[in-house]
Amino acid sequence: MRAFRALPYAVCVLALSGVAACSSGTPADGSGTPTPAVSAGTVKRLEVTVTGTTVTPAPAQVDLPVGSTLELVVTADHDDELHAHGFDVEAPLKAGVPATLRLTAEEPGVYEVETHEPALTLLSVAVR
Amino acid sequence: MVVALAPAHGVGSRGDLPLPFAALVIGAVAALLISFVAIGTLWREPRLRDTDGLLLPPPVAAVLDSGWPRVGARVLAAVLTVWTVAALVLGPDSARNPVPHVVYVWLWVGLAFASMLLGPVWRVINPLRALHSGLLRLARVSPDLAALPYRWGLWPAAVGLGTFTWVELVAEENTSLSFLQLLVAGFVAVSLLGAAVFGRVWFDRADPFEAWSRLLGLLSPLGRRADGRWVLRTPLHGVNSLRGQRGLVPTVAVMLGGTAYDGFSANLSWATFVQTSPVPSSLLKTATMLGFFGLVALTLWVASLVSVRLAGEAVRESFTFVSDIAPSLLPIAGGYVVAHYWSLWVYQGQYAWRLLTDPLGTGADLLGTAELTPNDALIQPTLVATIQAVSIVVGHLLGVLAAHERAVTVLDRRAAVIGQVPLMVVMVIYTLGGLTILFAP
Repeated sequence: MRAFRALPYAVCVLALSGVAACSSGTPADGSGTPTPAVSAGTVKRLEVTVTGTTVTPAPAQVDLPVGSTLELVVTADHDDELHAHGFDVEAPLKAGVPATLRLTAEEPGVYEVETHEPALTLLSVAVR
Repeated sequence: MVVALAPAHGVGSRGDLPLPFAALVIGAVAALLISFVAIGTLWREPRLRDTDGLLLPPPVAAVLDSGWPRVGARVLAAVLTVWTVAALVLGPDSARNPVPHVVYVWLWVGLAFASMLLGPVWRVINPLRALHSGLLRLARVSPDLAALPYRWGLWPAAVGLGTFTWVELVAEENTSLSFLQLLVAGFVAVSLLGAAVFGRVWFDRADPFEAWSRLLGLLSPLGRRADGRWVLRTPLHGVNSLRGQRGLVPTVAVMLGGTAYDGFSANLSWATFVQTSPVPSSLLKTATMLGFFGLVALTLWVASLVSVRLAGEAVRESFTFVSDIAPSLLPIAGGYVVAHYWSLWVYQGQYAWRLLTDPLGTGADLLGTAELTPNDALIQPTLVATIQAVSIVVGHLLGVLAAHERAVTVLDRRAAVIGQVPLMVVMVIYTLGGLTILFAP
């Protein structure tokens, strides 16, 4: 029974070494992953229409490999402001006039593209 | 057409990639295995004692006891406070202002990580505590001055934490300068008023950031054992030292529910539903956030109810028992915090230095960090996914162990094994829910 007193410690040590093992293994597969040659530098094009509070196509996650570019064409039925989080780009929207944002993927993560008046999420860009 | 501008909001503009399916499955299987193995094989008598722990080497303990680390931390906190207040009052109302990062990244998330590592640090560096005792000293009155006895337990802290969660996740324009001025002024006013009426105990019990730091700080490996000496111990020892008290259940519900809602609200289908719904979005978000708080409290109480009925006790016992088992949810809450906020903390936390160096928006570079590029080594996708899955599962494991210890302590031997099953079921639900939220943002 005495051995059980050490159990909480053993569990914690195990857990911590688990974290250590996993994280130490990461740089190899994380930074070493080469960006597929076909996608690097390629340009993806996507058109989005905003009518009132309805976004067409419905908001979805768009995959964008590091190094490639998303050309986002947005047409709204009202004056608004277009903002791509993380890419730090904004563009004014004039009612009925398509506006184009070019988003080049750099840091892996998920970034939302939204309008401000009203606040709508248009899509999210998953950079991998 | 494209105009490159500074971002409208600086905080939280980057989210984590969805958890890989493999990590979801491994995490879920591990959580289920841990739970079933725990029921059958764990200890039958209370195991954790407040005399446990590895003593720190005497020189290290002497430094910790000398007071110098506290003085140093207080001075740094005071300098940062003055710096931040200057930016709050005189700084620009733009993304160049450091205040949103200080409040939403350093204070909220950074405090959580610092507390889980070192213990209840906010108690030591809380600038409002210092302001309150300074004012009393100036007025030459006793530091224990209080007009009324305090008797609400953690309830005001739960309300405060819930309000802050709402401010962070629901309120619009929550990074604008006027909003932050109102927020900070309101919080300082309420705190000083509370401390004036109820005395210092206001900070001990009612202050939301002290509660956040103290409860997450129970998970720290650093602590004092019963005789006051510094020891290294398991997170379970800290959690086990917390006794049921008024307001603990709502506080834990807000901590767990708030983080879960944060993850959930990033879901695109949810965003689509909110923005196309005829119901005003802020109303819908507020109601859903409150629903998350309520769901945690309700499921915890139902688990408690089933437990006491299985043990053959009266229904009213469930209200005390729910408070007894609430501390064992703290490791799960801590796991959620690490999983959801790791990348925000290690990335945006660095970015804050770029803004702090120019608090008044004059183009100054007072700290020499204007050109700092946040190091992204700690937010590599594989590392982030690993940390997320591991922290959720470790939180679950510690939660199960803490609940087991509490069950064998509080319930009689016959009822202990069966009595902890309902809580374990609830924990499995929280853990699978937490992993799912990370998998499908």
